[in-house]
Amino acid sequence: MASQIPENLKYTKEHEWALIEGDTVTVGITDFAQSQLGDIVFVELPEVGTELELNSTFGVVESIKSVSDLYAPISGEVIEINEELVDSPEKCNEAPYESWFIKLKVTNTDDLNELLDPKSYEEVCEE
Amino acid sequence: MSEIKKTSLHQEHLELKAKMAPFAGFDMPLQYSSVKEESLAVRSSAGVFDVSHMGEFFVRGKEAIQFVDYLIPNDFIGADIGKAVYSPLCREDGTVIDDLIAYKLSEEEILICVNAANIEKDWNWINSHVEKFDCTLVNESNDYSLLALQGPKSESILKELEIFPDQDFSYYSARRITSPKGSFILARTGYTGEDGFEVFGGHEDIKTLWSQLLSAGVTPCGLASRDVLRLEVAYPLYGHELNDTITPLDAGLKWTVKLDKGDFIGKNTLSEYKPNYRLAKLSLDKGIPREGYEVLNEQNEVIGKITSGTMSVTLSKGIGIALIEKDKFPKDKVFNIKVRANIMPANYHAKAFVVGGHK
Repeated sequence: MASQIPENLKYTKEHEWALIEGDTVTVGITDFAQSQLGDIVFVELPEVGTELELNSTFGVVESIKSVSDLYAPISGEVIEINEELVDSPEKCNEAPYESWFIKLKVTNTDDLNELLDPKSYEEVCEE
Repeated sequence: MSEIKKTSLHQEHLELKAKMAPFAGFDMPLQYSSVKEESLAVRSSAGVFDVSHMGEFFVRGKEAIQFVDYLIPNDFIGADIGKAVYSPLCREDGTVIDDLIAYKLSEEEILICVNAANIEKDWNWINSHVEKFDCTLVNESNDYSLLALQGPKSESILKELEIFPDQDFSYYSARRITSPKGSFILARTGYTGEDGFEVFGGHEDIKTLWSQLLSAGVTPCGLASRDVLRLEVAYPLYGHELNDTITPLDAGLKWTVKLDKGDFIGKNTLSEYKPNYRLAKLSLDKGIPREGYEVLNEQNEVIGKITSGTMSVTLSKGIGIALIEKDKFPKDKVFNIKVRANIMPANYHAKAFVVGGHK
């Protein structure tokens, strides 16, 4: 079963998706990531106001048997976190593209150009 | 490294689209549907695990029972024919080589089932002691496949398949049986805390049994759910709670060390031994303890570390077993666990996290 890769999003090699809306970027993990992880049971998110460097870890997603870091796809300030995921981490499995983790305010627009388009991300998944 | 081994059910696992991973030199199924669904199936109904990677040694002959009793700290002579005994396997200095189950199939035939990762180490050890006894030791690991059928519905499922003895067959019973479905060694043992059976047999008979169990609605379960289930009932796992450097008395296995029985390897040391460690069962309300995480006391001094941790599917809570330095074991039972940068208060459990339904 091929995983879903929506056309309107950008991606990272770490299997995260990014929705760009003006200077706000919403971040989550992809369908491929959730299916590889299996049952997601715990999510740890940063505090609003945290300044993130590109590729720095901003949180953790845990399945029953594994722990995976979450990486900032761009540099930016955390302006909102999805508290609902902390209470219901299984939503990451059920609806990965609705289950966003954080919203970032872009500090360096050049970072946006480094994100992968859907076709490039598909190749990452096939590696 | 030599080429990765496959169990006789490897093709079946691939057809079920199991997530596979190398384990103890075998390509093994980690999970099929989901760890959660598989674990819950075993607690509420029945699940089946392919554990054919495990090792089977047979001891046969007039002094087979005496030999096994000499090998292990637990009492084997005292067990009835048709019963199994769990025990660590120790060196003279008391350290643990492996843990095993010895099945007393008859007066002169014993099956020893050992961990896959330790087959060679155990074989070398056991074989080096056999010559003083009137018995033979054979490694038949490659001739046997092994299924663990676990869960409250296991007995009725085996009865429907006519693989069930007529006689009493209580917890830890073990018997050779011949049925229309093949010849098996059937034992009421397992690693989940639930009622259930381990079925040893030839590869073809076990392949047939696997498909019959699946047709009967039994859930195929992988090694990931097996680990969750054994941790929920706080069974030790070699390489985690047990290893080459500690004794059974450091790891909560005092009940398996029978100092009042006859001579056995390690008896002299274990008789005098003062443990350095003690295990603690800990859970977190938020977060999951993982192997290697530091365990702290109330003053946040490091007193031990987590040896196994997981999310408990049954409790929906992070659970773990910790190896604690005995002289630092907090009398007030206040424990903290360092989860990444955070120090989280842990709950101490005197008993297993989950009470299984085994009979």
